[in-house]
Amino acid sequence: MSFFRVIHWVAWKDLISEVRSRETISSMFFFALIVILVFSFSFSMDQQAARQLIAGIIWVAFAFTGMIGLGKSFAAELQNDCLEQLQISPAPKGAVYLGKLTANLVFMLLVEIILFPMFVIFFNLDVVEQLPLLLLIFVLATWGLSTVGTLFSAMTVQIRAREVMLPILLLPLAVPVMIAAVEATRGALSASPLDLYQQWLQLLAVFDVVFTVLSFWAFEWIVDS
Amino acid sequence: MISLVIKRLQRYEGWVGGAAALCLVTGLYLGLIASPPDYYQGEVVRIMYVHVPLAHTAMLAYGVLFGASIWYLWKRDPIVDNLAHAAAGISAFFTAAALVTGSIWAKPTWNTWWTWDARLVSFAVMFLILAGYLMMRTFVDDPEREARYAAVLAIVGFADLPIVHFSVEWWRTLHQPLSISMRGVSMSGEILVPLSVMSTGFTLLFGYMLMVRTQMLYLTRLLQAKKGRLLSHAHVAQSGPQVGSQPSSAH
Repeated sequence: MSFFRVIHWVAWKDLISEVRSRETISSMFFFALIVILVFSFSFSMDQQAARQLIAGIIWVAFAFTGMIGLGKSFAAELQNDCLEQLQISPAPKGAVYLGKLTANLVFMLLVEIILFPMFVIFFNLDVVEQLPLLLLIFVLATWGLSTVGTLFSAMTVQIRAREVMLPILLLPLAVPVMIAAVEATRGALSASPLDLYQQWLQLLAVFDVVFTVLSFWAFEWIVDS
Repeated sequence: MISLVIKRLQRYEGWVGGAAALCLVTGLYLGLIASPPDYYQGEVVRIMYVHVPLAHTAMLAYGVLFGASIWYLWKRDPIVDNLAHAAAGISAFFTAAALVTGSIWAKPTWNTWWTWDARLVSFAVMFLILAGYLMMRTFVDDPEREARYAAVLAIVGFADLPIVHFSVEWWRTLHQPLSISMRGVSMSGEILVPLSVMSTGFTLLFGYMLMVRTQMLYLTRLLQAKKGRLLSHAHVAQSGPQVGSQPSSAH
């Protein structure tokens, strides 16, 4: 099989099994809903305060939700020794990584697109004009989270205490993504001119490229048995 | 290869440790007693003689960890993995010490224990990465896999640190006071000499710690392997066919 067909089939397999079981997306969705509720209880916000805080709340909810999806990504492969099949298959390991990355990206983006209207409703935001830009920010930041996230998911699934280790390893590395995503989202939501926060989009793009390449290379060392 | 490295380490570690002690004692005398207090910061500046070398050594140790990790993935030499493991532990220790001494210095100087400055956040993130690295190592059963994962983690973390630094620098640009008082105004010989003696001392101390710790980790691993072999022997003697049970007449 050629490189791109491997990417396609690995991603397709994950999407199909998700469509059949709906395990990952539904658990991510309800967890994120709870996070939104907890935040709205913990800060009593008026319109003004909400505009300041909402970008942070959105990204905390998205990042924690992403942890669930990323953790499940390779944990699902443990059943029926699927992980070993991936390890011994002659398919290029980098292609397997990119397939997994694509599937994780799709899951997280789907949940974010379902959740975002909830934020708009609960916190009374005006977003109609900014939607394309927000979507771009979501894609770039989620991609950044999933690059290292997919790599570490493959790593932590093969060690003890994997549910604990994934966030402990991933969140410190994701600090630049979180800062850039929050700042860019705040800029877009407050409808300030793009010049003021386009550097954050550039930072996200740089992070995405660097860590896609690095994880693509490192994945071979992780699944090698 | 391994026995050669271990012999070299044993031969030179005393000298390195002695030189480190000499430098640190001299540097402490120069910094705490012989040098005058700073014009702007007063006596508080003296903590810099410990803080700056600690921060530099922490970064040097992460550099060693990065180099050793790449070398391990390339050559798969177990002693290099022990070296990386040792460097990570020492780097985590020095990073934590630099954060604590920095806080103590910042309270009288900036009037706050902590600010979200680029260097501070980068160091905090570095500490968290190293803590995660050391924690992850305890959760892997197979030594070869542990070494491989740890090496990948160290390399990915190393690539992340500059991006963390730049992102926080854009986010909060508050570190001007530091560079002015340290570089522009008051970096005279009176400060430079004790600082470089202390830097040399801490670098040598790091070298000494690295040598001792590498040996210790190597011996721990060796002991575990021997224990495992003994246990498997006992297991064979109990349940397996009676291969080695004939009494030998040589003894």
